[in-house]
Amino acid sequence: MAMAALRREGRRFASPLISPRPITAVRSSLISENEIPFGVRSISTQVVRNRMKSVKNIQKITKAMKMVAASKLRAIQVKTENSRGLWQPFTALLGDTPSVDIKKNVIVTISSDKGLCGGINSTSVKISKAIYKLNSGPDKENKYVVLGEKAKAQLIRDSKKDIEVSITELQKHPLNYTQVSVIADDILKNVEFDALRIVFNKFQSVVSFLPTMATILSPEVVERESESGGKLGDLDSYEIEGGDTKGEILQNLTEFQFSCVLFNAILENACSEQGARMSAMDSSSRNAGEMLDRLTLTYNRTRQASITTELIEIISGASALEG
Amino acid sequence: MASTGAAPFWRAAGMTYVNYANLCAKMVRNCLKEPHKSEAISREKVHYSISKWADGKQEKPSVRTDSPDE
Repeated sequence: MAMAALRREGRRFASPLISPRPITAVRSSLISENEIPFGVRSISTQVVRNRMKSVKNIQKITKAMKMVAASKLRAIQVKTENSRGLWQPFTALLGDTPSVDIKKNVIVTISSDKGLCGGINSTSVKISKAIYKLNSGPDKENKYVVLGEKAKAQLIRDSKKDIEVSITELQKHPLNYTQVSVIADDILKNVEFDALRIVFNKFQSVVSFLPTMATILSPEVVERESESGGKLGDLDSYEIEGGDTKGEILQNLTEFQFSCVLFNAILENACSEQGARMSAMDSSSRNAGEMLDRLTLTYNRTRQASITTELIEIISGASALEG
Repeated sequence: MASTGAAPFWRAAGMTYVNYANLCAKMVRNCLKEPHKSEAISREKVHYSISKWADGKQEKPSVRTDSPDE
């Protein structure tokens, strides 16, 4: 027992000498002896120079990504702001009532396909899980519909039993209503629901996104609520023209409402994604700049030290010869 | 009044309202004259991949697309 522990200890001590030094330990590798060949007096600055080069390259990449995100953001922001007019009439007519008691919940989580955009994807996953918990009960059923690669990767870990449908590769072409409505159609056909809860990040400004939930009730629930005179009691005061029954009208309305709200939600989330990516890339290029400054300082100091040492050696040698 | 008579027919054919509205929109877009037509048609490109899940397993994704290069 003790021998084994000792051996393990010994291996741990020996390992730094055998394994190649990680490049992160720039400072320590500058003063360690095992990297400098025998007989070399000055300290090699090669490691720091390589590291500076790589940091500079990373900074270039993040700057370019920031530029790309900024230009995409501008295009999508206009679209998003225009699409807000689509859901407002529906909220005025049918209301947004998250508190109605229903059995079959379907949570539509919207996320992005690509990463490197801050915390927007984990926010929407977190909110979706909270809604799941909030609505779980003995005779209740919760299902996920996942849009985007990133939320899928996070939800697979602990709730893959509840995923019903997943949709990816949304943003290959610029987003448009036709595409979103086809997706909405697919979701409507594939899941049974009493209420759809769309979770997305609402775009406020480049740096702030509000996690938001929009609720869409199924036509049957809307009819039940309006007849019982609950939160949707006003709906009965509307007059229906033509030969359609109220049920038919409501079914058409909810389908159209879902596609419109989903359209806005996807746009808002895409806009938030670009905004978040822009600020994330901005801060990472700033970090790279700071790191570069520190490395330059270390590099120059070491160079100066070696020059000074050489000068001292020359002068003291000369004075030794004279004296 | 024609639309009120037609409404049950597309519903009976298994279409949802969204599907019906899309079809109507497509007809209107096709009626446009040329400089506006190609611009409007570029707004109806669809591409995504959907997959159903059963028992915690992802089934084979199917790609819905209408771009000619795939």
